[in-house]
Amino acid sequence: MSSDERTGGLLSHNEWARRDLKWLFGSAQALLFVLLILIGLGPVVWLAKGAITPTIDTLRNPLALFPHGAAWSNLTEAWSQVNVGRYFWNTVVLALGSWLCQIVVATTGAFVLSVLRPAWGKFIYWLLLGTLFVPAIVLVVPLYIEIVHPPLINHSFAESYWAIWLPAGASAFNVVLMKRFFDNLPRELFEAAKIDGAGPVRLFFSIVLPLSKPILGVVSVFAILAEWKNFLWPFLVLTNSPDRQPLSVRLPAIQPQTQIGVLLASMLIASLVPLIGFLVFQRTFLRGTGLGGALKG
Amino acid sequence: MKSSFRAIRLLVVAAALFLVVGAASLANAGSQAKVTINVAALRPGSSADAQKQFDDNVALFEKQHPNISVKPVEYAWNGATFAAQLAAGRLPTVFTVPFTDARTLGEHRQVADITAGVKKWPYYKKFQKTIIAEATTSKGRVIGVPYAAYAQALHYNRQLFKEAGLDPNKPPTTWAQLRKYAKQISQRTGAAGYAQMGLNDNTAGWIATTVAYTLGGRMEQGRGANATATLNSPFTVQALNLLKQMRWTDKSMGSTFDYTWPTINQAFAAGKIGMFINGSDIYTFLVQAANLDPKIYGIAPLPLAKQKNAGVMGGGSIAVVRPDTKGAKMNAALQWIDFFYMEKLIKKPAALRDARILVANQQPVGVPAFPIFNKTQYDRANSWIKSYINVPIKQMNPFLKGIFKQNLYPEPAASTQSVYHALDPVVQAVFADKNANVSALLAQANDVAQKAIREGK
Amino acid sequence: MISGESTRAGEPVAVGAAVVRPRVRDRFSLVDWVRRGGLSAVAFALPMLVIFTAFSWYPITRLVVLSLQSTNLVDPPSWVGLQNFRDVWNDPLFMTAVKNTAYFALLALLFGYPIPLVAAVLISESRRFRGAYSALAYLPVVIPPVVGVMLWRYVFYEPSSVGLFNTVLGWFHMGPYGWLQSTGTAMPALVVESTWANAGTTVIIYLAALMSVDRDLYDAASVDGASLWRKVWHVTMPQIRGVLLVTFMLQIIGTAQVFLEPYLFTSGGPANATLTVLLLVYQYAFGNSIGVGFGQAAALSLMVAVFLAIFALVFLRLTRSWSTT
Repeated sequence: MSSDERTGGLLSHNEWARRDLKWLFGSAQALLFVLLILIGLGPVVWLAKGAITPTIDTLRNPLALFPHGAAWSNLTEAWSQVNVGRYFWNTVVLALGSWLCQIVVATTGAFVLSVLRPAWGKFIYWLLLGTLFVPAIVLVVPLYIEIVHPPLINHSFAESYWAIWLPAGASAFNVVLMKRFFDNLPRELFEAAKIDGAGPVRLFFSIVLPLSKPILGVVSVFAILAEWKNFLWPFLVLTNSPDRQPLSVRLPAIQPQTQIGVLLASMLIASLVPLIGFLVFQRTFLRGTGLGGALKG
Repeated sequence: MKSSFRAIRLLVVAAALFLVVGAASLANAGSQAKVTINVAALRPGSSADAQKQFDDNVALFEKQHPNISVKPVEYAWNGATFAAQLAAGRLPTVFTVPFTDARTLGEHRQVADITAGVKKWPYYKKFQKTIIAEATTSKGRVIGVPYAAYAQALHYNRQLFKEAGLDPNKPPTTWAQLRKYAKQISQRTGAAGYAQMGLNDNTAGWIATTVAYTLGGRMEQGRGANATATLNSPFTVQALNLLKQMRWTDKSMGSTFDYTWPTINQAFAAGKIGMFINGSDIYTFLVQAANLDPKIYGIAPLPLAKQKNAGVMGGGSIAVVRPDTKGAKMNAALQWIDFFYMEKLIKKPAALRDARILVANQQPVGVPAFPIFNKTQYDRANSWIKSYINVPIKQMNPFLKGIFKQNLYPEPAASTQSVYHALDPVVQAVFADKNANVSALLAQANDVAQKAIREGK
Repeated sequence: MISGESTRAGEPVAVGAAVVRPRVRDRFSLVDWVRRGGLSAVAFALPMLVIFTAFSWYPITRLVVLSLQSTNLVDPPSWVGLQNFRDVWNDPLFMTAVKNTAYFALLALLFGYPIPLVAAVLISESRRFRGAYSALAYLPVVIPPVVGVMLWRYVFYEPSSVGLFNTVLGWFHMGPYGWLQSTGTAMPALVVESTWANAGTTVIIYLAALMSVDRDLYDAASVDGASLWRKVWHVTMPQIRGVLLVTFMLQIIGTAQVFLEPYLFTSGGPANATLTVLLLVYQYAFGNSIGVGFGQAAALSLMVAVFLAIFALVFLRLTRSWSTT
């Protein structure tokens, strides 16, 4: 990326040449580097080490480096005996379902608000913005009661994955983000398509979606990560179905029954998808976060 | 037109067959109305073998009661979501609740009133008074059937006793002795000599109440919503001061103070704790979930003060029925409870069947419990399953011999969980703050508990 | 059909012998509407409308209703007016929770607001390692929060002398500390872990803002002879003021809702030292088996929502003049 060469520009060329400033900034950056390694990378590396260290060694001397060799069996035991493999799969299913719901809601909703622009669009948009002021956690209580006792339907959705997939789609942030993106698409493309006789369906699938790959990437990556990290809602919905719980919910529950070596191995497995996903999709993550910042600013 | 004749003949035969079969099924259906009940079966995650044993039980019951169909449902008690489960109609017809919650649920009519049905049982009058009280509301209505009971006990690590120079066959019998032993263990082995639950999920208050009982104290006086909270009685103050001294003066309680039921068991099994208080039935969890080495396990009765009301708090499980169950279904539910939960205490074949389920689920048989009826019956039931007993009985002798010399008392009757909840922060303050003002904190806790009792929470 | 197509409304319709001519319309015509694409707009909007109605707008109104009712889920709810709010207000734990939450927010602000900014400035000035630094800073954010809390709770904050932090401090002859076991250190311990887990996002946001400052402004200032400090004060700050203010507001709003850390670390202890407002909501709703606290939980949730909404509106209003758009 060419922007790597550019710096923030705070220090001018001359200033970089000055020895004392160079020394100050240089050592500050060196310190920053050390601290980032220690604080950002340290715990993760320790987790990886702890996951393959025998329990006894972790308990007695957490900072030692394999005094009695590694215990790869922690990982296999975690996967099969403690059944982390199962919970891993549950997490994948939950993440994918939530992702799908979010993508469907955000793309179709933003399409209506940005491209189709019906008369009632502005009203809906303000209703959406209104929900941004309501923190999600505040809705946990009414949502829970709604899941247990839905109005009109005589069936409880507690213990069902639908109770996790569907509410995930209600993210005004996603819709607003996508709407902004669609707003920036050139209108001429739409006009040209309409003249060619394209209906809204063609417009959506053949023009808007293909052009939206970057924003779809950002929303997808954050949607999957958010569901992977989610705790409270799946905890409440799936309390009585331990076999179907995701990793976040299950790991604290099995802690009293699991020796720490295997527990750490389970925690590492739980972090693998986000970690690897982050390393692979780094740019999307970082750009998306910056985007979010720009949106808020 | 031969083919059409043949066709008509075939049609007539078919029709006749149809009529015969139909009549037969109608006759069958009309002879008895079948009742279906869902029942709480095994915990989720139980072994396939244990499931099979349970299903065998169900088959036997259905044979004895041809008009009842039983559907097992995986079940585990969960206090936080009980109300939601009840509202969503997801509870089986017959399920179980702990002693602690049973009466509160009964007062709020969230479990069925089964007084009429239960009183007809031949052994109804033989229940231990304190045990059946745990399932009786303040208005005298019976809302469940206690089927398993335990007493609070002192669990100790025989290995750590030996390392500290103490005789593992002579656990402490007074609080002064316990204090001394705790100090000795922590000084000579580095483990926590004595540990106590301190997490504010009501377990801290539960054990603090247990200790107060052994000194002669109680948390409530009176019944129902008119009960008076007595959290700040001198006995509770004494119990907490004892804790304070062990924590700050003796420094014999280690460094972790947020233990709860499973985590204190885990730490004990890992050899970090010399002595601690928990229900007498935790051996199952210790060996199954916490990987305890059975050789180090010791259990003793709680030390009691020489006070009139000093006694051991009891706990246990109660079989209850969904509040919306009526008529034939209620009868079926009671019959199931009698068959599955009670028979094993009174009839040998049932006791053996139950032991086989435990063995199939790789659970220990012979874990110290407390009699539901009386000691004679309890001993007799234990003798039936003698060949299945696989717990280190000899190591459990101090408890098995000593518990029957002690008085068992029920937990506080009104708003039990709220009482424990009010005590939690007091226990935590004692653990966290060297200068905690126990009297003042208990006075506050008493107000909180009194309010909860008055409001029936 | 996209708007712009001609319709066939207005054509005379032959009925029997007479010719019926429709009146000139300025009223809504269903056919017109469908032809203009009204139906497809509704069809496309259906997922959003259904999901938001069911899981956003309805729960918001339900929250208000619940806060005015007494319900235990099983029996039909009864209206109790403002009793739930009174119960919450008079609960001694309410003030404790508010104080603790404010304490958490304050510590998180002191600790977690300036540090990411300094880090972002340093990172922005690096030519070669900016990508690596960004990745390192953001790494803790992708770790699932439950894993982070468990790691810190059972390993780093382990209170005995072999706990990880206690071991390190032991090298300097300090400790061992109780961390989560002691009322004085519990909340700060939570803040440290929470900052560790979340500061990465702020760093990236600041970095993006810093990188978007026009270089020419710096160059112009340098030419004018401005020192480093003056450049920071007169160029950087005004340019990123908007982002700084919004991040400040979002951090306050975010820390006011803290739930996971107190719940998983200490369950609100020791002695309610880490009981936060949202944890109190949880205790009201799920802390008892008879389900009596849902009304109070709803009332407290509503109070939080209203407070934060007012805070956000007031803040945005006050700072509107300060930030450049």
